[in-house]
Amino acid sequence: MSVINFAAREINCKVVYYGPGFSGKTTNLKHVFSTVPQALRGEMVSLATEDERTLFFDFLPLELGTVQGFRTRFFLYTVPGQVFYNASRKLILRGVDGIVFVADSAPNRLRANAESMRNLRENLSEYGMSLQEIPLVIQVNKRDLPDALPLDMILQVIDPVRHYPHFEAIAGQGRGVFESLKAASKGVLERLAQPS
Amino acid sequence: MIEPSVALFGDAYELVNGQLAGLLESARARYALLVDKKGFVLAHREALWAPNPPSLDSMATLIAGSAAATSALARLVGEVQFHELIQQGEDVGLYLESVSEQTLLAVVFDHEALVGKIKLFARRVVAELREILEQAAHSPAPVQLDREFSTSASALLDDLFGKDAGGSA
Repeated sequence: MSVINFAAREINCKVVYYGPGFSGKTTNLKHVFSTVPQALRGEMVSLATEDERTLFFDFLPLELGTVQGFRTRFFLYTVPGQVFYNASRKLILRGVDGIVFVADSAPNRLRANAESMRNLRENLSEYGMSLQEIPLVIQVNKRDLPDALPLDMILQVIDPVRHYPHFEAIAGQGRGVFESLKAASKGVLERLAQPS
Repeated sequence: MIEPSVALFGDAYELVNGQLAGLLESARARYALLVDKKGFVLAHREALWAPNPPSLDSMATLIAGSAAATSALARLVGEVQFHELIQQGEDVGLYLESVSEQTLLAVVFDHEALVGKIKLFARRVVAELREILEQAAHSPAPVQLDREFSTSASALLDDLFGKDAGGSA
């Protein structure tokens, strides 16, 4: 949930990058960290294994500025993609406001994409939430792979009814990174303004 | 959707700050923070002699993450929760103690400080903080932000990320 701290006059929104292992979630955050001016972002924290797989989470705070007297910030988190780390994923999802689902275009990751989306639904339901109430955007990453699967095939397994906005990306080159984050963030802001 | 965290106003905020400052002085610690378990700093104090603290947001997030993982571990072994946690390095140590369901006290100390003293004074302060929080902490009622807020914030997003978002639905 967005945390509104009236004493400090702050609004803090949590955006989580979800998706299968190796799909490029940490790469997204690294690009944001390296591109956004230092004054508008905090330190990036990564809890990773020795081979740089995310173990617990990556964290990056972004400063949007002051809106109607409220210091407004977005806290970006990634979850570990490896199936093994589901307990960590559940913890990170607590209080989520918006989700960027990073799908992998590699042919051998089609099933992993589908399983990760199913896992997301299951984990949200444990907190009594569903994807109907959380803004979600899909980022189809690694579009530069020579054998990248067709976009439609990937969307067919994670969003067959085309309910969510999607973006093609090459996160390693920064393509599609800000577009995805911006769309998810706008979704979060829209929800803040909706009657509860 | 909007679910406020613990918020400290006026006198309560000052009382918490007073307790943290007293703790730093009596235990000779570097930094003391009251952190909520969602990863936000509610109040913090640093000793005059201490170096500038690292990013407080990062500290609070990691403290909350660590507490969440520790709490999950406790449940795995049949405990409701572990009440305290000590981390000690060559030069710096960290003491964490649960204050309430939503909050934690974190104390960062140098190797010269005595751990026993840190724990003793921290426990006293935790008792005081608990009382202050019980009496004075608020969970602000959900407040509706208006369309104007969303529009203004979206304009700032455009400034930060650029205007063209593309995307297909």
